[in-house]
Amino acid sequence: MAAPSMKERQVCWGARDEYWKCLDENTEDASQCKNLRRSFEASCPQQWIKYFDKRRDYLKFKEKFEAGQFQPSKPTTQA
Amino acid sequence: MLLLTRTPEAWHRLSQLKATALPGILGGKALHLRCRLWSRQGSAETGRQSQPQGPGLQTRLLITALFGAGLGGAWLAVRAEKEQRRQQRRTEALRQAAVGQGDFSLMDHQGQARCKADFQGQWVLMYFGFTHCPDICPDELEKLVQVVQQLEAEPGLPPVQPIFITVDPERDDVAAMARYVQDFHPRLLGLTGSAEQVAQVSRSYRVYYSAGPKDEDQDYIVDHSIAIYLLNPDGLFTDYYSRARSTKQIADSVRGHMAAFRSVLH
Repeated sequence: MAAPSMKERQVCWGARDEYWKCLDENTEDASQCKNLRRSFEASCPQQWIKYFDKRRDYLKFKEKFEAGQFQPSKPTTQA
Repeated sequence: MLLLTRTPEAWHRLSQLKATALPGILGGKALHLRCRLWSRQGSAETGRQSQPQGPGLQTRLLITALFGAGLGGAWLAVRAEKEQRRQQRRTEALRQAAVGQGDFSLMDHQGQARCKADFQGQWVLMYFGFTHCPDICPDELEKLVQVVQQLEAEPGLPPVQPIFITVDPERDDVAAMARYVQDFHPRLLGLTGSAEQVAQVSRSYRVYYSAGPKDEDQDYIVDHSIAIYLLNPDGLFTDYYSRARSTKQIADSVRGHMAAFRSVLH
């Protein structure tokens, strides 16, 4: 399978950004963004979808962490 | 020196002390004689009779200055020679590294064999990645190419050769590399090779890479270290730029290295 060309990459990134924007606007409620998710999946290789999903999780976590909202889980008292 | 010029009286007392203390020591007589000679010369020059036992202040200052300058000069000469030897050793070490370090044997995207010596005399910006890379590699290559474009637009600067080396030799053959590099820059050179050749060049530049699990389409992501490398015209690794560096920061750094560059090969 050939790697996506620059044009294909840009189409994929565009669809990803649309979908991510929708998630931002709907407080991560994926059910509100089904159409955009379908377009995202149709525009990118399956492997990239998995990668971008993980990347969004990471970026969200990073945002939260940098904003100081992240609370590490409390250590268990049992030895 | 400073102390002596400020307190001529102290110096005078000291010389008297020396003259009385020294006669017992070997050579004391000769010193005495010289002292008297100086003193006569000194008083004749200055025309003063107040210091009959020691040489004139000016003469003493002159002798001290000459002696000090002699010592200082000798020290400077020794230091300069030491520095020169250190520089020679360094140049020799660099020369050896320039020839041996980071050598590779790969194939460019036109099917031509390439090794590091082919790029001698050129500045090289180098990036390791793979053509199926979702976002980081295209971003970094875009940045690299922008640096090259910025620098080539400035008159008087030597050209920079952009190079992209794959860490995914399984999929990135010559044809795949040719398709990929054409999107970025007409002079961007894509290099690929056998699994061993790619492993060897990655080791040389301390690039880590590891292919992830394959999905049902046989597609996979290759995890790898992200850095742009700068090689100077001697082929020596000169600097590297992490992802956080902007186009402008990299271009400024390359410009600085160009201005400071002196070849060790000639």
